[in-house]
Amino acid sequence: MEILKVTDLKKTYTSRMGGAQVQALKGVTFTVDSGEYVAIMGESGSGKTTLLNILAALDEPTSGSVELDGKRLDTVKENELAAFRRNNLGFVFQEFNLLDTFTLRDNILLPLVLGQMSVREMEGRLQEVTSMLGIKDLLNKYPYEVSGGQKQRAAAARAIITNPRLILADEPTGALDSQSSAELLRVFSRMNENGQTILMVTHSVDAASHANRVLFIRDGVVFHQLFRGHASNEELYKKISDTLTMLRTGGDRR
Amino acid sequence: MKHGFYFKIASQNIRNNMRLYFPRILTEAGLLGCFYIMITLSLDQRLSKALGGAYLSAFMGFGAVVIGLLSLILILYVNSFLMKRRRSDYGLYNVLGLEKRHIIRVLFTESLITSLVSVLAGLLFGMLFYKASSLLICRLFHADAVAGFYYLSAPTLAIAAVIFIGMDFFAFAVNSVSIMRLKPVEMLSDRHAGEREPKIKWFVLIAGVLSLGAGYAIALTVRSPLSALLLFFAAVILVIIGTYCLFVTGTTFILKCLKKNKRFYYDRRHMPAVSGLLFRMKQNAVGLASIAILATGVLVMISTTVSLYSGVQDTVEANYPQQLYLSAYQKDGGEIRQISFDELNRIVMEASEDNGVEIRSIENTRMLIVHYLTRGNALLTKQEFEGSWSPDELTSAIYITEDTYQQLRGQTYYSFDEQNLDLNGDEIAFCRIMSTVHDLGDAPKTLTIGGKEYRVKHLLSYFPVSSNYGNVVDVVGIVVADETVLNGIYLAQKEAYGENASEYATRIAVTFADEEAMKAAGTDLEHDIVNRLKIAFPGELSYTLDTKWESLHNTLDMYSTFLFLGILLGFVCLFSTILIIYYKQISEGYEDRERFQIMEKIGMEAREVRQTISSQLVLTFFLPLITAAVHTVFAFPILLKLLKILMLSNTMLFISCTLITLAVFAAVYTLVYLLTARTYYKIVH
Ligand SMILES: Nc1ncnc2c1ncn2[C@@H]1O[C@H](COP(=O)(O)OP(=O)(O)OP(=O)(O)O)[C@@H](O)[C@H]1O
Ligand SMILES: [Mg+2]
Repeated sequence: MEILKVTDLKKTYTSRMGGAQVQALKGVTFTVDSGEYVAIMGESGSGKTTLLNILAALDEPTSGSVELDGKRLDTVKENELAAFRRNNLGFVFQEFNLLDTFTLRDNILLPLVLGQMSVREMEGRLQEVTSMLGIKDLLNKYPYEVSGGQKQRAAAARAIITNPRLILADEPTGALDSQSSAELLRVFSRMNENGQTILMVTHSVDAASHANRVLFIRDGVVFHQLFRGHASNEELYKKISDTLTMLRTGGDRR
Repeated sequence: MKHGFYFKIASQNIRNNMRLYFPRILTEAGLLGCFYIMITLSLDQRLSKALGGAYLSAFMGFGAVVIGLLSLILILYVNSFLMKRRRSDYGLYNVLGLEKRHIIRVLFTESLITSLVSVLAGLLFGMLFYKASSLLICRLFHADAVAGFYYLSAPTLAIAAVIFIGMDFFAFAVNSVSIMRLKPVEMLSDRHAGEREPKIKWFVLIAGVLSLGAGYAIALTVRSPLSALLLFFAAVILVIIGTYCLFVTGTTFILKCLKKNKRFYYDRRHMPAVSGLLFRMKQNAVGLASIAILATGVLVMISTTVSLYSGVQDTVEANYPQQLYLSAYQKDGGEIRQISFDELNRIVMEASEDNGVEIRSIENTRMLIVHYLTRGNALLTKQEFEGSWSPDELTSAIYITEDTYQQLRGQTYYSFDEQNLDLNGDEIAFCRIMSTVHDLGDAPKTLTIGGKEYRVKHLLSYFPVSSNYGNVVDVVGIVVADETVLNGIYLAQKEAYGENASEYATRIAVTFADEEAMKAAGTDLEHDIVNRLKIAFPGELSYTLDTKWESLHNTLDMYSTFLFLGILLGFVCLFSTILIIYYKQISEGYEDRERFQIMEKIGMEAREVRQTISSQLVLTFFLPLITAAVHTVFAFPILLKLLKILMLSNTMLFISCTLITLAVFAAVYTLVYLLTARTYYKIVH
């Protein structure tokens, strides 16, 4: 079943002085099925963050459409956007974006509090999510008191606690050492096995090799994609590396 | 490197950070202007002469010192704030290869520019407003403005400039030291990294509750004006300590309690605000407490000085039923020889005739005034009194004989009291003239004086001897049967007090036909009376001549000075409050910006973000105002007693002055809030 359908998405940034225009997305089209784990790769400046921001309704496309569960994002009213985002999307930010005035518990609970859930129900969800991510003992700590990997897991917990239809992650391992990256990727895989749909932007071949499918973006279009098929993580890793090398040496679309 | 280079960088920096520098320049200019006005007023001989205000120059000197101190504090506060914001810039210069001494040169040039601009603007401001404030003063003093007079002196300008440039230099020195000591990483690093959740300091909390409670208790329970005077300062200090302690820990305590209540806390309306406030309070407690105290200062100062000033006529009226009081006696060796009424009357009448003023009536009083301590229904001399005593127990008694009463009673136009008292030797008539404490009760049945018990036969509602003896202690009036009884009381206190005993007083009180005319003729008449007295009674002469017009003039002088000082200091306090608020808003704006961006990304609606922001703002903003209002309400009883010392007993006047001041202050405060909140929203969004 299709959960996300992106059709001919274009985004043009116009600098404020009215000068040069940058075409960040030049017509991106792809679909994601429910339960898929998709990685998006591409060079710096190729438009990945732009794409993710549009999918999360944090930004608007210049043209083209995004359908989430059959509902076009541009039909969602401005004042309903926040609630829509809260109920359907979980976003793991590259820089965690944890609030320094909240304990990890309050950070994770924030989306539920905003959704006006009862305290009892919240505690139940919190229990479930944090034990899956292994941060149950850290809940009373503040973000500055825990390690980068623990912070990233808390950020992930906050993204999944609402049971969103779709999890969007922008370079979630970008700030982590290999140990922490591995931990986080395991959690993502586990979440995916539990049926969550994940869309993850990454520069790391290792991270991408955990996904079912890898999209390559270049110059604002989806240039190529790889399917895992029955390949193991290592085999996928090799395929991705080869593709990247090919892309870098300037090969044509295959 | 060339000078031009530093100047270019420095002026560029200031221009780029105008949001920070502009209020700083404005502050210094404003303070300097007020300071200049104060010292010029205290030195301006022509003004003092024109107004004859002896208080003016002394009080303005005092005001200048207060403003000077406040300026130093504020300049350092603003400076520390500016440095916090600018530190990362300097760190960046350091990383980019500027040596520290070069950075300090940049800093120096920046300081020099802001200092010069502020000082010049301040002097200009001061000179412009000096004329305005001298006109205001003349108006307050009911004096005609001396046309075209303007006071401008190079030394005054120089003093003001040097003092403020000195302060700026001091701030610069503090900054240079901190730059020399910091490593570039520290300069660059984020200020609020590693900020911890505030802990409740129980000791501070308890100390705060206790001292605030004690301060309030003093203000509420103080009974007499005299003890109010003695305890006022202690109460102020206690309340200040209490305010600081409670702002620091009390707010944290309350917020933590709210946080513990899960049902309350995990609510979309409460969670962001409560946790935001928890951290915000920690940083701001001291600033907010200062605002609360400054605001209280403004309220108290303005309301008391305004009511004193506007009540001056009432006050004098109440204390001077007649217009001229004269009493005199001669000392012959150790013997005191009273001067007869006839002699005094004759002198006053002759002098009046010569000066062309008409007398309506003269009241002759022979009386005895004795100071006692009260205990139960007894008036005790200090020798009779056992144990320690408080100022609340001081009472002055005015004794007259029934004959005197009869004589004076005939002259008063209106009274409910018995015409014929018909007193026996052990009976008295009692009147409460001035009551602050009520120790003797409203209607004592008996009264023990000097060990002898008297029956109170009549309670009088009006005592014919007007007291202009102040409102500080209780004053009672007592009518005794005759000279013998009076003499007994006289001898008893003479024995008890010895050297310090009271003497009989013969006093004549004069009412003139045309009171208005006396304001012009008064001084000449006074001189004339004194001259005649001296001629008639050569040798050692002791006299007191007290007139209503003189008293009005003196009181008006004093209260005008108070009022002017109150207004000026009130403005400076208000100004400081606004400044602290402004910088608080900006610094918080920058810190909160990121926080709210995150919340919006997580799915908080823009409307909710705005709500959270405004509930936080409103709370932090109006907490000091509410505190100030509460302080003022609690201070009310003690202030009322203090005003009694200054002869103001019109409670309604004081209440309305306080309420009006509170309303005006709240309005200005709200306006400042709305303006700074705009800046805050702009930064956050
Ligand atoms: N707000 C903006 N205004 C103007 N141009 C922008 C803006 N945001 C991004 N761009 C431009 O759009 C292009 C795509 O940027 P985007 O941030 O999507 O890249 P990215 O693939 O996420 O890169 P990276 O891997 O470095 O994060 C870039 O050329 C960038 O300069
Ligand atoms: Mg990016």
